[in-house]
Amino acid sequence: MEEDAQASFAFEGRWRDYAPIAFTNLLLTIVTLGIYRFWGTARSRRYLWANSRFIDDHLEWTGTGKELFVGFLMVIVLIGLPFLFLQFGAQALILQGREELAAALTLAAFFTIFYFTGVARFRALRYRLARTWWRGIRGGSDDSGFGFGVQYMWRTMIAYAPMGLLIPWSMMSLWNRRMNRMSFGSETLVASGRARPLMGRFLLFYLAPLLFVLLAIATAGTFGSELGGGVRVMSNFPPVLRIIAFLVIFVGVYVLLGLIALAYYAAFLREAISNLHWGGLQFSFEASTDDWLALFFGDIALVVLTLGIGAIFLDYRHWKFFITHLGASGEINLDQLGQSQTKASRHGEGLLDAFDVGAF
Amino acid sequence: MSQFQLWHYDGETATRRIVKLRADAHGFRLEDVENDWTGQRISWSDLLFIGREAGRSAYGHRQIPGWRLGFSGDAPPDIAARLPGGERYGRWIDRFGLWPAAGAFALAAAVVVYGVLQSPAWLAPLVPQSWENSMGDAMVGDLGGRVCHGGAGEAALAQMVAKIDPKGEAREVVVTNIPLINAITLPGGRIILFDGLLQQAQSPDEVAGVLGHELGHVRHRDTLAGLIRQLGLSVVLGGFSGDAGGYLNGALALSYGREAEDAADGVAIEQMRAAHVSPAATAGFFERLGHVEGDDDAARAMTWLSSHPLSADRRARFAGAVDKNAQYAPALDTVQWKALLAMCASDPDVADPWGRQK
Repeated sequence: MEEDAQASFAFEGRWRDYAPIAFTNLLLTIVTLGIYRFWGTARSRRYLWANSRFIDDHLEWTGTGKELFVGFLMVIVLIGLPFLFLQFGAQALILQGREELAAALTLAAFFTIFYFTGVARFRALRYRLARTWWRGIRGGSDDSGFGFGVQYMWRTMIAYAPMGLLIPWSMMSLWNRRMNRMSFGSETLVASGRARPLMGRFLLFYLAPLLFVLLAIATAGTFGSELGGGVRVMSNFPPVLRIIAFLVIFVGVYVLLGLIALAYYAAFLREAISNLHWGGLQFSFEASTDDWLALFFGDIALVVLTLGIGAIFLDYRHWKFFITHLGASGEINLDQLGQSQTKASRHGEGLLDAFDVGAF
Repeated sequence: MSQFQLWHYDGETATRRIVKLRADAHGFRLEDVENDWTGQRISWSDLLFIGREAGRSAYGHRQIPGWRLGFSGDAPPDIAARLPGGERYGRWIDRFGLWPAAGAFALAAAVVVYGVLQSPAWLAPLVPQSWENSMGDAMVGDLGGRVCHGGAGEAALAQMVAKIDPKGEAREVVVTNIPLINAITLPGGRIILFDGLLQQAQSPDEVAGVLGHELGHVRHRDTLAGLIRQLGLSVVLGGFSGDAGGYLNGALALSYGREAEDAADGVAIEQMRAAHVSPAATAGFFERLGHVEGDDDAARAMTWLSSHPLSADRRARFAGAVDKNAQYAPALDTVQWKALLAMCASDPDVADPWGRQK
């Protein structure tokens, strides 16, 4: 079966059909003090997956609320409780004047979180692939992700050493590593994204210090304060104009920083996904920086204009964005594509839930 | 019937088959006539509802992962009658219906939240005092050497404690070298007065009022109740993601706190009456602190007032407790008061507020 890139993935859901799911999830989540949200997540994913077409058939989500709930409880017991004691202990040690020991404990806690963030990222993707079915087959991985946690720690730490210059390499190598351990059906995923094409966008971040100097001058000019070193900035504008000018520059600096981050992330996903292969297929992700901007500001407008209620549609928007821009081209022999032989973990993405990181 | 088309995946390969269903009493077989293929016999009771979306229905098999049977539109009646139903909101909620279930959950949630808010006050007295004491000691220890010592100052403090707390309900009352306008009660019945509070006070009667209030927290074991409540709330509200639970938690802990504060004020007034110390100065102290700190949120957050919200009612309560016919005496005489104020500054061994030994 040969595939044309953009036609291979399509999202066929309508927000009017999703609304009853979103609103009843919100209602039930509130009256159960938040516990229903695991079942709500499963319900909303069943809808999103079932309305996502890949080639000639739709995806299917088989994860359950109970799985997610059990995963959450496991994290509470295995990580949350020890952590509570650690935190209590560190506070007590500070009050007892044993700061060094408290600092050591806090550092140990920090590295534990750091490590499990990596593990969680891996296991979340593994869980999602294992619960995603298409034409009667599913994905998964036989890797537990504990090794990935170590990789995640040192690759992230080293990225910041030379003024953050290795961040694109770190991000891309971790992406490749994680994807290369995954499979769907009998075919493995092969990821070979490169960091070099991202460097141009990434270097824009180094403009940030300049922007902050600009911000400092604007602040000093607005309020007539010292810049340091005896330099005094004064402005003859009337106060209202000064404050407006300050706000424009202030907001401008942060918007610009956000734009750089968005531009970089858009480039990252394009590079990462267009070097992802599965069987004879090559994936692609054709979201430009403009598309990301529309998504980002659309999200903000949706949430602000509805006084926060619109937040229940964010998952829908993000999934639609992802599927709409995803593509695949090449050839795949479906008769040769067999069932996944990977072990399916029985509990959900509790770790990921606790640390609040995304699967992508 | 001619339009009705069944598709099938066997869960072993991704091959899609268009099949006919040959039913018998308890099960069926799927046949792909064109490709001369017949599947194994499947019993109706093994079928599992997967989903129905945009008119497409899918069913799975309990024992064979990936086995799927699906169709578009409505199944013929003879097949439809045999197909299992599916879950919508979840098994429990489907059984009762959305609104009855939501009502029942809301009721249960209200009971749970009420229980978590109220039960610490009932539970705290059941915890042996010795447990609370050793837990408090383990948490706090010697406060990193920040406790102030000094002959005359310590004697003055002891004098005031003897007046306000004649039964010795508080296990320990100390002054610490920390320049915050604050006083706290720690688990284990220990009261800590901060030097900043002493320096801000204009008379020993004001300090006696604060001490009486903290003694109320000791008597009612409010700190232990607070710890239990925090633990309970964080468990109950753990289901909410992110900040929503945290804000709710803080708001609930605060609103409960006011009842305990009122009760502690009652203890303060009671103890001051028994000690013949006038509550008038304490009312003035509240008023003055309100003006000093009122405009500065950052400073407020660090003071006694942030956990002891100021209200006209509270001030009036202390002012109203003044008995015109009573014979009041100052909580300390001038010499003792000066010694108490100078205690931290004149202690050569006390650690500075940031924990460094001098």
